[in-house]
Amino acid sequence: MNALLTVDNLTVRAGADPATRILDGVSLTIHEGEVLALVGESGSGKSMTALALIRLLPAPLVAEAGALTVAGEDLLAAGERRMNAIRGGTIGMLFQQPKRMLDPTATVGAHVAEPLRRFGRLSRAAARRATVELLADVGIPEPRRRARAYAHQLSGGIAQRVMIATALAGQPRLLIADEPTTALDATVEAQILRLIAAKKAELGMSVLFISHDLRVVSAIADRIAVMYAGRIVEQGPAAELLAAPQHPYTRALVECSLLRPDEHGELYAIPGHAGPALSLTAGCRFQPRCAASHAARLEHQCAAAEPELAFSGGGSADHTTRCWVASPQAAPSHAAQPKEQV
Amino acid sequence: MTFLVKRLMVLAVTLFVVSFVVFLIPYLTPGDPARKILRARVGDLDADPEALAGLRETYGLDRPLLVQYGDWLGGALRGDLGLSYTSRTPVVDMLGGALTVTAVLAISTLLLALLVAVPLGSLAAVRRGTPVDTAITTVTQAFVAVPEYWLAPVLVLVFSLQLGVLPSAGWEGPASMVLPCLTLALRPMSYFTQVTRASMIDVLGSPHITAARARGLGFGATMLRHGVRNALLPVLTLFSLWLAGLLGGSVVVEVIFSIPGMGRLLYESVVNNDVPAIQAGIVSLVGLAVLITTLTDVVHAWVNPTVRAPHVSG
Repeated sequence: MNALLTVDNLTVRAGADPATRILDGVSLTIHEGEVLALVGESGSGKSMTALALIRLLPAPLVAEAGALTVAGEDLLAAGERRMNAIRGGTIGMLFQQPKRMLDPTATVGAHVAEPLRRFGRLSRAAARRATVELLADVGIPEPRRRARAYAHQLSGGIAQRVMIATALAGQPRLLIADEPTTALDATVEAQILRLIAAKKAELGMSVLFISHDLRVVSAIADRIAVMYAGRIVEQGPAAELLAAPQHPYTRALVECSLLRPDEHGELYAIPGHAGPALSLTAGCRFQPRCAASHAARLEHQCAAAEPELAFSGGGSADHTTRCWVASPQAAPSHAAQPKEQV
Repeated sequence: MTFLVKRLMVLAVTLFVVSFVVFLIPYLTPGDPARKILRARVGDLDADPEALAGLRETYGLDRPLLVQYGDWLGGALRGDLGLSYTSRTPVVDMLGGALTVTAVLAISTLLLALLVAVPLGSLAAVRRGTPVDTAITTVTQAFVAVPEYWLAPVLVLVFSLQLGVLPSAGWEGPASMVLPCLTLALRPMSYFTQVTRASMIDVLGSPHITAARARGLGFGATMLRHGVRNALLPVLTLFSLWLAGLLGGSVVVEVIFSIPGMGRLLYESVVNNDVPAIQAGIVSLVGLAVLITTLTDVVHAWVNPTVRAPHVSG
């Protein structure tokens, strides 16, 4: 399989201050036809990653990367005109809250026809026909009537289908779906997930699927990258990562997603909260909330230096973890010898 | 188009109510109408009883109020608003001329204001927080406080007396419109600029703009197709309020530039106690204001589908 998207060492800062690393050294690869899920809690930098990929970060934020390549094209070297062809063309985007992503003064049909006319170079009439076909194709009933509707007349599920039709209109090689089902009912969520999976299989797209919900991700992802405070902390094949999570944070996420009450009838919650990415220490970012570090008596080492993303032993070779506890062989020599896994 | 029909019915009812109230006003002020007419015409304070009786007869002032109103309303519906007490010419003719002049002045003024304000406000919004934005915001805020009776003489001084390029008064040809329009446009232009800026900032931050950029629309194209239309909704409302206000005529500007508009007509009618002219003037202004509001609603519905189209989910 060839890599469709390569992100190497993507860093996002607020302004010129080097201390404000909102995203820090994020490296991702998505192969052709693959679904990579980016998982983490709110504020961990998932959406920031998506916007940085299409180079649409809001004003004070600045992105830097060693490499940013999509379908063999270097996005760092692309001019604004070329970027406009890549956005909506090579890369399609889905967002949370689909109704707010539609212009309230433009019809559904106008949204879908826009990329059709631009990328497909269709005439007005041809674009109108293609729009109705696309709307029908993403499972919208009465597509002819819906094409004349406005955002406020749609349910969230239909609006997300419209967004999918709009994203597919440019025949993208990569679909970036940023929490596409978070604002939807559970039943609608399942439908939208099935639709994305079906379109991915039909069109051979790759998907970067961003979510905070491991249960949603498990239904669609080939591989999973877990993000914490602007860092990728674990990455690997979906089934393996879910069955045998290595990083204490991933374990905690898996535990949360099970919705399994303990003996007191309480659901599991990760203690503490994610600190702001602005107040970084030298050590592992999860250390202040990490029970494993405490149990393994590695607090000193975990707080002193941040581990690399490394093979953590067991499982496939491309399953990597950023943890002193899980990857003992990665520990620097001057640190205390860590114990076996907890 | 039931929306429009409903609106027009509201318009008719409003006009009916307003006309009655306006008709009553001169009768609520103390004094005998016949005496007022005579005083308006000849300045005679010690009126001859026979002359008064004659006037009552001519204008039907001794009939019951409701009969007089019915008579007046019937005439108004046929386009007959009576004779002016002072000039004894049909009020309709006086009003028609003045209203046309004022309408031309008001509409050119506001179009000028809009033409400057929308690009200026948008520029300030796009360059938010930069010196450009600060300059635009500060200057337009200052402009709001510039009074017309100061600005008009200054403009006359510069363009008519010093440079000699524009007439200082009168209402003949486009050149004579320039200074009155500039004088009147300064304040609405400042308000429009600030409202455009605020609503443009709102729109720039809205998610559908990000989505449009992510579809590959460039910044300019996104603004044109998905920004301006949304941003102009509040400006549209403000525009209609100003239009209704300016149609009443600006006494200050019309007097300074000797423009035969509504402001001067109404002012003189009130001074002369010319009741038919006052009545007709006020009713037509209120009617126009309601008509403009109605038209604004129609335009609003056209621009903003959430007003027009029913909310259905599913």
